[in-house]
Amino acid sequence: MSPSFRNFLITRLLLTIPMVLILMSMVFFIMRILPGDPIRSQLGPRVSEAQAEQMRERLGLNRPLHIQYFTFLKNMLTLDFGNALTQGERPIRDELAERFPATVELILPAMLITGFLGIYSGAYAAKHRKQPVDYIIRLISIVVYSFPIFFLGLVFQIIFSVRLNLLPIAGRMDTLMLTNFQSPTNFYVLDAILTQNWPALGSVLKHLILPSVTLGLALTGVFTRLTRVNMIEMLQSDFITSGRARGIPENTLVYRHSLRNTLIPIITLLGLQFAILLAGAVLTETTFSWPGLGRYLFERISLRDYTAVQAVISVFALLVGLISLGIDLLYALVDPRIRY
Amino acid sequence: MTAQLPERTETVPQWRQDLDRVGFLRNLLQARKWYGGDWWFVAVSSFLLLLIIIVGVFPQWFAPYDPRAEVGPSLLSPGQVPLDFVLLVRADAGIENFKSIATSKNNIGFVIASSSSQALRQAVVTLNETSQAEGETTRYNPRPRRFETIADGLKALDAGELDAFIAAPSELEGQTEQYPNLTVLGGLAEETGQARGFVMGTNQIGQDVFSRIIWGTRIALIVGLASALVAVVIGVPLGLISGFVGGPLDRVLTLVMDSLYSFPSIILALSIAAVLGAGIGNIIIAIAVIYIPTYFRIVRGQTLSIKEELYVDAARSLGHRPVEILVKYIFPNVIPSVVTIFSVNVADAILTEAGLSFLGLGLPPDTPDWGIDLARGQDYLRRAWWLITFPGAMVSLVTLAFSLLGESLSEILNPRLAEL
Repeated sequence: MSPSFRNFLITRLLLTIPMVLILMSMVFFIMRILPGDPIRSQLGPRVSEAQAEQMRERLGLNRPLHIQYFTFLKNMLTLDFGNALTQGERPIRDELAERFPATVELILPAMLITGFLGIYSGAYAAKHRKQPVDYIIRLISIVVYSFPIFFLGLVFQIIFSVRLNLLPIAGRMDTLMLTNFQSPTNFYVLDAILTQNWPALGSVLKHLILPSVTLGLALTGVFTRLTRVNMIEMLQSDFITSGRARGIPENTLVYRHSLRNTLIPIITLLGLQFAILLAGAVLTETTFSWPGLGRYLFERISLRDYTAVQAVISVFALLVGLISLGIDLLYALVDPRIRY
Repeated sequence: MTAQLPERTETVPQWRQDLDRVGFLRNLLQARKWYGGDWWFVAVSSFLLLLIIIVGVFPQWFAPYDPRAEVGPSLLSPGQVPLDFVLLVRADAGIENFKSIATSKNNIGFVIASSSSQALRQAVVTLNETSQAEGETTRYNPRPRRFETIADGLKALDAGELDAFIAAPSELEGQTEQYPNLTVLGGLAEETGQARGFVMGTNQIGQDVFSRIIWGTRIALIVGLASALVAVVIGVPLGLISGFVGGPLDRVLTLVMDSLYSFPSIILALSIAAVLGAGIGNIIIAIAVIYIPTYFRIVRGQTLSIKEELYVDAARSLGHRPVEILVKYIFPNVIPSVVTIFSVNVADAILTEAGLSFLGLGLPPDTPDWGIDLARGQDYLRRAWWLITFPGAMVSLVTLAFSLLGESLSEILNPRLAEL
């Protein structure tokens, strides 16, 4: 490890800390300081003031604000979320551990779809800039972007599940099969492969198609546009012109020389896209009853279970901080020019 | 070279010189040459937006019904005319129409758990409305009588226990032959003026889908424009000040805004909306918060580079105060990029609003809103495709118009992409 890279690593790590702190404080601010009493809305208007006070006491909500703040930060950073207020009052950490793999299993294929479709259509459009193909690709990408993700999902459900009856409409697995299915890691695909349970694997994959294609397609529009703009700039740079002068075939120039260089800004965009992907996952999971983090957040918001809601949002904040750190490090590894 | 110039102006035909005086339109049409397809994108999306804004400002001109009123039977598919129900009466009773047997002294029978009861109720409501409009004081309210089967009802009617019996014509086939004394009075819906279809069908409680999506335009535009405006009003000054002043203030603000920017937008809006509760003002705030960083980042970046320009230095050396420099020299230069993002931003805000109300947060449940309609339609996915297709298509159309405009404007205005 070169000293410059080590410096970069340390600076970047130090910068992640305030970012995560700010996000956590935001969660705290939203939950405690904005008008609206979480305890009242949980218990409903009929419960007496004494009972509400008792609940506040139990959750430590009657202590001074700054003490609450530090306890909150400590708990969130040590992943000690306490127990949920509703639905069995299980430890939230256990519930999240069950839900998180589902979200990852949904996001990974979606990311692959977005990456391939987006990068290649963007590069193709850039190569044919101002030709009809370019306008058609751009128009399609804007149309795709304009589709609300849940609407896309509902349309797919109508076409492929209701009309054609090809794919299951919701869930992660056939309910009948689920009762006999052991999943220690909660990654269903992984567990099905490890136990060589092929029918289960088939069912899991079948359930995965619609949600991941929905999520992937919905985000492709953004990716196409970003790749296109970056490629156009890249294609105007000097090394492409000199390559052209040396007689390198145009396709090699576009898809090898300039696409590879464009991948650097695209990796950063991927980091930003991750936030969009998580946001999209909330809507996709709700549409397809996919038991992931997003669906959990939605369920708990409907139940007004504020400890659970605050825990999920904090987990999202941590994830975003870690991913952006990871992406930046990757970026610096790929491109040695990037140092502080 | 200079000698040739006058000659060339002479070759310009008279009509063209006349057209030059009109100027604007010609320039607009000529711009097609330089901007290619983007010109068409701008033209088409501007036209679409104009239409959408007219619809949003004057929904009453386009919507045939009140979006909250239950105007027909539930779950009618687009264009389907509701099943008409007929009244059976005794031929010797001398009854001419529904109105004459609809007072509270009359008994009208129907089969339990059939849709004829709904038809009867609706016919009575319409009858009361029309008679009230004509100035009558009688309230119509016939006594309903329930029967297990059609045969039971017809028997009771024949025996004189009922004044009329209501049923669908298809149900009556083969049942009436044994009662020669009974006659069919005519269509109930036809008499009360309800025998009509709905362009986009009706939803699960009999509201007109078309009227609801027309009125939904207003909500979408209000929320989209208002939240983007709030974000501009807060984000742009913050960006200007942060970029211009620099120092620790800039560093703190940038850090906060970058963190906000990196957070998944809808999750942030979701939690703010959940805490604030339902209401159009609250949803505007929740959405505005997530777009403040967008403006902040762009404006700050531009301010940083404009600050170094020569004319800013000149202004400073001429003794302009910093506030003056900020307002007079830097602010005008960031306006174009703010306008471009604004358009894309409104599109995004409309999508977010639809997402929030789809999740059941944000707006009161009886609001005619696309997101709410989509969420409700989800429960009827197998039976009624039209409940989600039309509101979804409207969200897409409006978002498309705004983002097409923003995209093609930025393509035209972006100097980095200009070809040399």
